[in-house]
Amino acid sequence: MIRSVNPFAQEPRYELVTRVLRTNIQRGTLPEGLVLLEGPIAAVMQTSRGPVQAALRQLLSEGVVRRFDGRGYLVGAEGKDIAPIRRDLGEFNLEIPDDVDDALQTRGTWRHVYDEVEEQVASCQIFGEFRIVETELSDYLGVSRTVARDVLARLQERGLIRKSASSHWIAGPLTARTVREKFELRSIIEPAALRLAAPHIRYADVEDLLDRIDSGAKLSSELLSDALLELCIAQAPNTSLVDMVRSNRLLLTSVNRALTLLGLPNDEATIDQYRTLFDLVARHPIDSASEYLRDHLQIMARRSLARMKIVAVIRETGEFAPYLLPQ
Amino acid sequence: MVSPGAELASPAQIQRRRLRVRGTSISLLAQVHDQAEADLGFAVDYELLEFPTCQRVAAMEPEGYDVYEQCFHNLDIVWFWGALQPIDINRIEEWNKISDLAKQGGISKYAWRGHGDAPVRKLYVQPGGFLGPKPSRYISMLPTVLNMDSFGYDTRIFGRAERGRSSWSWLLDKRAKGRIALVDEPAIGFFDAALAAEASGELEFADIGNMTIEEINALMALLEDRRRQGYFCGAWRDGDQAAQLVRDRNVAAQSMWSPVYGKLGPELQNFAEAEPAEGYRAWHGGASLSRYLAGAELDMAYEYLNWWLSGFAGAVMARQGYYISNPDRSRAYLTPAEWAYWYDGAPAATDLPGPAGEMVVRAGSRRPGGTYEERASRIAIWNTVMDEYNYAARAWDRFIARVHDSASGDGGTV
Repeated sequence: MIRSVNPFAQEPRYELVTRVLRTNIQRGTLPEGLVLLEGPIAAVMQTSRGPVQAALRQLLSEGVVRRFDGRGYLVGAEGKDIAPIRRDLGEFNLEIPDDVDDALQTRGTWRHVYDEVEEQVASCQIFGEFRIVETELSDYLGVSRTVARDVLARLQERGLIRKSASSHWIAGPLTARTVREKFELRSIIEPAALRLAAPHIRYADVEDLLDRIDSGAKLSSELLSDALLELCIAQAPNTSLVDMVRSNRLLLTSVNRALTLLGLPNDEATIDQYRTLFDLVARHPIDSASEYLRDHLQIMARRSLARMKIVAVIRETGEFAPYLLPQ
Repeated sequence: MVSPGAELASPAQIQRRRLRVRGTSISLLAQVHDQAEADLGFAVDYELLEFPTCQRVAAMEPEGYDVYEQCFHNLDIVWFWGALQPIDINRIEEWNKISDLAKQGGISKYAWRGHGDAPVRKLYVQPGGFLGPKPSRYISMLPTVLNMDSFGYDTRIFGRAERGRSSWSWLLDKRAKGRIALVDEPAIGFFDAALAAEASGELEFADIGNMTIEEINALMALLEDRRRQGYFCGAWRDGDQAAQLVRDRNVAAQSMWSPVYGKLGPELQNFAEAEPAEGYRAWHGGASLSRYLAGAELDMAYEYLNWWLSGFAGAVMARQGYYISNPDRSRAYLTPAEWAYWYDGAPAATDLPGPAGEMVVRAGSRRPGGTYEERASRIAIWNTVMDEYNYAARAWDRFIARVHDSASGDGGTV
């Protein structure tokens, strides 16, 4: 589950426009008396007129702009006698903060490029430590630095990269210890969350899934793992705990996907275990499912550690994406 | 047009039965090959590869072989790639005669098991497809050849050490500076270096058989420091390269495998096999079955596996200094003098031949380390694929590349 960390991504557009205009007026970029018209503002901000209208009304109520005899609004508070300045908005070098700009016109752009970057960053780590150069990343992807930063923020959220002491973005090396620790945490928090979730699980959904497994449907272990999370564990009413479960899984999911893409055999031997697990959840006291989940996670941990060893035979070709610098 | 009659008249096309064996120089010897073909009545095709290459292609291309001959430690790679199928011990005639060192982890109940992964920890197939020491009907690899390795040293520098007076620390010793070489295999040479670092007191590992990232970094930093100071003159991947280093580079201390001593001629006068105070680095080889093997080919593979433990191959192994997992069957194929020297640690009654008949042991000399039991009781560590193997192996490869770069700077070839 990838969630945006850009604080503006969820904000209504009119508020973003309001924010930009207010800031530019307060800084004096847009001088007192300037006539603000919906059309040119919408064009500069690459948005429709609706949000601009709403933004201007908001600024009017704040006393940042005022009405006058002509069409549009004047910059400045009510009560002063100011001659209207009619000039092209383009002349004023309107300042639009990157993240607002990103949120306004490229909402979701990072999503188009994220998967590719995640794959490259997750798989390079088995070969060692890399520095990620932000400018190279935006050049490589052909996106703004804002979008590149957004991508990096999400990689950080997944635990795939970190900031070094000198503020460089660093990826890897991926170690067995990291994987072991993630699984240790999983086996502490997931069985606990499953217990809390018991009264809230929709058992009919679990039964449906069991029917699909029994009917021989080809379900990947990734899908079953997700189903266990969404149908069962995430039903726990403690949202902090569920968030912790989710974020702790992110790195493991990325790594697993990267290893498979590198050519490692997929681990499909666990489907029986999921079947047992769903059966215990749906038809038995939750303690048994919770205990079984703990065992299941220990087995998964051993399998993952085994995968971490066999990846050693994948030869380094030396061909990494240009934004990845081997350290 | 070919008439039906012509088809009937043509001679039957008899495809000669073939068994494809992939492995290393440890066990893929011409003498073994020729005798196997003679005894088994089918063709045996050997594909001989270097350790790391062998491991990689065995894991990723299991359709390319029927039988895989390698060491137990690399099961961590090949087994978990899903390249192999379990061996049914009910089809192994000599199973009950295979030594406790392979099946229990030590030559007796009380013997020290050594650090790292004793072969028994990878021997039995456990529930869930894991490998472990709990006996079951199915095994991952049939234990065959094994040895306890040490290093070789120049007696003019270190003196001819009495038993137990040599130390792995000599692989980092100032006296040998510029004349030290390591075996280039990250589950083998890495531990020679780790033993040297501990023996010299420079580093201490909480568990030398399963080192942490910090410990690996510390070891690599130590090796890199010595490399910069010019300690290393090369690294080798097979016995011929090792022998060449002794001859051409006048090596004073290096990782060694037993057959290499037999390849040294006059150099042997001043180059001795160590019996390290800290104990040996041991390994166990064996043979596994490709996952694709079935039907008649699978039967041939079992025939070949059983043949391996029927005596002849074990005798060939003994002549290059290696032991076999069921020594009694091989005794009949060795002269009393050979048995006494290789297994009992007695002085050679006569000159003794190597696998190809060339003289490799002079009459009167003794095998360093003593009897099989003495050597097997002094295992410090087994070749091991640690949890952080991927990290360690890549760090090791980078280090070895730098060793080769700096060694070739003065005109070397190995």
